[in-house]
Amino acid sequence: MNALTLAANQSPKVHLTAQTRIIAAVLALAFMALVLELIRRNRLQERFSVVWFVAGLGMLLGAAFPGLLSLVADAMGVRDTNVALFSIVLLFLLGLALNFSVTMSRQAAQITRLAQEQALEKAHEQANSGENGSQAKRERLES
Amino acid sequence: MLTLVFIPAWNEEDSIADVIAGVRASIPEADLLVIDDGSVDGTAARAQEAGALVAPLPFNQGLGAALQTGYLYALREGYEACAHLDADGQHPPAEVAQLLEEIYADRADLVIGSRYRDPGKAESDDYKPTISRRIGIGVFRFFLTLATRQRFTDTTSGMRAANRRVMAMFSERYSPDFAEIESLQLAVREGLRVEEVPVRMLERAGGTSFLTPLRSAFFIFKGLIVLLVGQFRPRHIEASER
Repeated sequence: MNALTLAANQSPKVHLTAQTRIIAAVLALAFMALVLELIRRNRLQERFSVVWFVAGLGMLLGAAFPGLLSLVADAMGVRDTNVALFSIVLLFLLGLALNFSVTMSRQAAQITRLAQEQALEKAHEQANSGENGSQAKRERLES
Repeated sequence: MLTLVFIPAWNEEDSIADVIAGVRASIPEADLLVIDDGSVDGTAARAQEAGALVAPLPFNQGLGAALQTGYLYALREGYEACAHLDADGQHPPAEVAQLLEEIYADRADLVIGSRYRDPGKAESDDYKPTISRRIGIGVFRFFLTLATRQRFTDTTSGMRAANRRVMAMFSERYSPDFAEIESLQLAVREGLRVEEVPVRMLERAGGTSFLTPLRSAFFIFKGLIVLLVGQFRPRHIEASER
């Protein structure tokens, strides 16, 4: 064991203070209330709200039972509980952002197809009305 | 053969009528469709006056989506062959007729018009690109050839002809971002016969190229990622069905 790890082992574990826990709990509750309000006003669809609600619950749990967070921190091999907390939150947000990109890509593809269908419909109508219509096709039908 | 020639156009009111007239003269048997990609000028009206069908996209969707609209129309309306060319007057319609000949003779599923007669060079007698463009051409040429193990010279050419197999494939799977290059990779991967035919192209009739050096670099970078990812896409046509 080298000097650095020795020194690190001697330093006490860093935990959340009572003050932090209270603030976190209040914020979690406020956040969940906000999510509920957004659903109530039809600003947020239920299927998108689940993940935010679960996040709020997670925050509340973390504030209420700091032992949970310590367990997670130990499992991650992190001494500082705050670092564990930040890492988890960061990963969560990263995953969520990726999920939104996937959703956006799908919706962009859907919008494109919708636009194409509309354009095709209009072209089809012109072709059938015969104004600039399908010369080759008409000739073929007549023959 | 029932043929559709389609022209993707975005704010090309100055040149579209001439292009349509040219196609009419060179390929009289074909039906003509202009895909108006959300133009804010008189492109759609000019095209209609010139006697083409117009498929108006309600908002600008990019070249890939516009081309896909053309392939979709050709597929659904039962055309046996289709071709497309740029709306800015760079592509002589007589050369498009030459591409269609390859489709009529069933020598290829997809035919690309290449402005380079000499495959070793990034320029031709009537085409002298800038340095950044030349680098881009070289890079894409190298990597597309590596990815497909088939020699391509003009990877971003917008002058092509295709049969129904290609229409069916491109109307379902056509990248909106990097249509030209990825579509070649896709077609080769799916076992289609892709052929390049040297053609004559003209200098741009109007407007300036959108490429600055920085944009070129970004364009090349994006293209390489697209090619790399494309190599790992699942194939849809099984080897046994080819």
